[in-house]
Amino acid sequence: MELNPDLRDHTATLSPRVALKRPVLAARSYADRRRLFLISMALPGLAYVVAVGVWPLTKGIWFSLYDYNLLKPAQTHFVGLRNYADVLDDSVARQAFSNTVVFTVSAVAVELVLGFAIALALWRDDRFNRVCLALILIPVTITPLVVGLIFRALLMPDYGLVGYYLAESGFSGPHGLFAYGSSALATLIFVDIWEWTPLVALILLAGLKALPSDIIEAARADGATGVQRLRMVIIPLMAPTIVLAVMLRTIDAFRIFDSIFVTTGGGPGNATNSLMLHAVKQGLEFFNIGLASAIANVTLLCIAVMATAFVILFRQADRRAHGS
Amino acid sequence: MTAFFLLPFLWLATAAYKPSRDMFSVPPMLLFRPTLEQFATVLRIFDVRSLLSSSLLIATGSVGLSLLLGVPAGYALARSSSRYATVAAYFFMAVRMVPAVAALIPFYLMMRDVGLLGSWISVVLINSMLNSAFVTWMMFLYFRGLPKELEEAALTDGCTMFGAFWRAALPAVRSGVVASALFCLIFSWNDFLYPMFLTRLDSKPLSVALLAAFGTKDITWGALGALAHFSTIPIVLIVLALNRYFVQGLTKGIH
Repeated sequence: MELNPDLRDHTATLSPRVALKRPVLAARSYADRRRLFLISMALPGLAYVVAVGVWPLTKGIWFSLYDYNLLKPAQTHFVGLRNYADVLDDSVARQAFSNTVVFTVSAVAVELVLGFAIALALWRDDRFNRVCLALILIPVTITPLVVGLIFRALLMPDYGLVGYYLAESGFSGPHGLFAYGSSALATLIFVDIWEWTPLVALILLAGLKALPSDIIEAARADGATGVQRLRMVIIPLMAPTIVLAVMLRTIDAFRIFDSIFVTTGGGPGNATNSLMLHAVKQGLEFFNIGLASAIANVTLLCIAVMATAFVILFRQADRRAHGS
Repeated sequence: MTAFFLLPFLWLATAAYKPSRDMFSVPPMLLFRPTLEQFATVLRIFDVRSLLSSSLLIATGSVGLSLLLGVPAGYALARSSSRYATVAAYFFMAVRMVPAVAALIPFYLMMRDVGLLGSWISVVLINSMLNSAFVTWMMFLYFRGLPKELEEAALTDGCTMFGAFWRAALPAVRSGVVASALFCLIFSWNDFLYPMFLTRLDSKPLSVALLAAFGTKDITWGALGALAHFSTIPIVLIVLALNRYFVQGLTKGIH
C-alpha cells in the first residue's frame, strides 16, 4: 500500500531534529504570517481597483490607437496615433481645451481668494462660526447636476427669479446669461465658484487652525498690523495648505462635466464645451470610441502632469514653511 | 455671506410648495400660498418608488462594498512596514483624480460584453471602484495616526491578528469609518454620469430622473424641487446631522 505523501510529511515533523528548531521557525513564521495576513487584507481592494479601474483605463489607451466606431465595428482598424493628431487638429477639441483652461484658472483663482477671506472670517472657534461653517458647506453636498439645474431655473430670462430681473435691467441679453457665448462661460464659472468656494474655505480653515499660535502672537507683540501679519506670517506658513487646496480644485475643475451638461450642453456653438463633455459626446452619442478615448487620455495626461507639478510645489512649500 | 451660499438651496426646497400658476408669473413672485400640488404631479409622472429603490440599491451596495474592500486595505497599508505599502496608498489616492469619462467608455463596453449593461449592478461596480480607492486612502490616514500599542495588547491577550484589527483597531477609528461611509453615500447617491449611461428605464435612479424632470413640457422646477425632497434634501440633512464627521473627514482626506 502506498503511503499518502501528506501523511509522510506529517510523520517527518515528529522527528526530534525538527522539534529542536521549532522556536526559530515559530519566530520566522510569525513575521511571515503577519505579512501574509496584511497582504490578504489589502489584496481584495487592490485587485478590485485594478480589475474595475486600471484595466478599463488600459483598454482605453488601446482603443485610442484604433479607428473604432460602435456603429461600424467591422471597420475597426489600427491607426496608431492618428486619433491624437485628429484631436490636436480639430478646432472643436481645441476650443474645448481652451474653455477648460479658462474655466479652471478663473474659477480656482476666485475660489482661493474668496475661500481665504471666509476662512479668516471663521477663524475664531465659537458657536456662531461653527453654525455658519455647517450651513456654508451645503453647496458642497449638493450634486453638480442639481446645482446646474438650480441655476438654470433661477437664471431663466422669462420666469427665473434672478434671470427675469437680469434680462429686464439689460444686464443679460433677452435670452438669458446661458444663451450668449460672451456670458455663458462666465456664468458657469460663477456657478462653480458658488459650489466649491466653501470647500476651499474649509480646507484653508483647517490649515489656519493648525498654525502655531505663538508665532502669530509674537508677530502681534512686535506691532505687526493685520495686513502685515497676513502677508509676512500667515500666508508663508499656509503655503502648503494653499497648494493642496488649489491642487484639489484645479484637478476637479479640469474634469468639469455635469454642470455644463445640464445647463448649456456645451453651447451656444461650442462656447462652453469642455474636454470631458467633448469626450462624452464623441464616445456615447456618436459612438466614436477611438477618438473619445484619445480625448479622455489627453485629459488624463494633463491631470497627471498637473498633479506631479503640484506635488513638487507642495514639497517645496512644505520645506520652506517648516524649515524657517 | 452665509446667505449667498444658502439661498439657492432654500429656493430649491421651497419651489416644491409653489402652485403652478405662480411659477409663470411675470415678474416672478417671491411669496406664495404653499401647496402640495407639485408632489402630486411628481408622483403621477414618475415612478418614485422604483427610482427610490434603485437609488437605495446603488447607494447601499456601493457603500457596503467600498467599506468591505477599503477599510481592511487601508489598515494593511498603514500597518505594513514595506515601502511598497506607501506607494500603494498613493496609488489609491491617485485613482480619485482620474476623469470619470476616461473610465466610463471602456467600462461601458466591458459591461456590455458581460451582459450587465442596463443593470444597477454595473453602477455599483464602478462606483465602488472609485469609492473603495478613496476609503482605502482615508482609512490609511486614520489607521496611521492610531498608536500600535492597542493592537499589540490585544495580540498578547490572545487575540488573532484579525481579532486585533476587528476588536482593538477598528472601534478606535469609528469616526473615520463613519466619515468614509458618508462620502461613499454622497458620491453614489448623487452620481449621475454613470447611471445615465449604464442603467435602463427600470433601473434608473433619482439623480437621472432629476434631469428628466426639467425641461419637459408640463413639468417645471416645482417638480424639480419636489423630486429633490427625495434625492438632494435627505443628503443635505444627513450631512448637517453628521457635520462633525463630514468636516473631519474632508480635512483628513486632504492632509
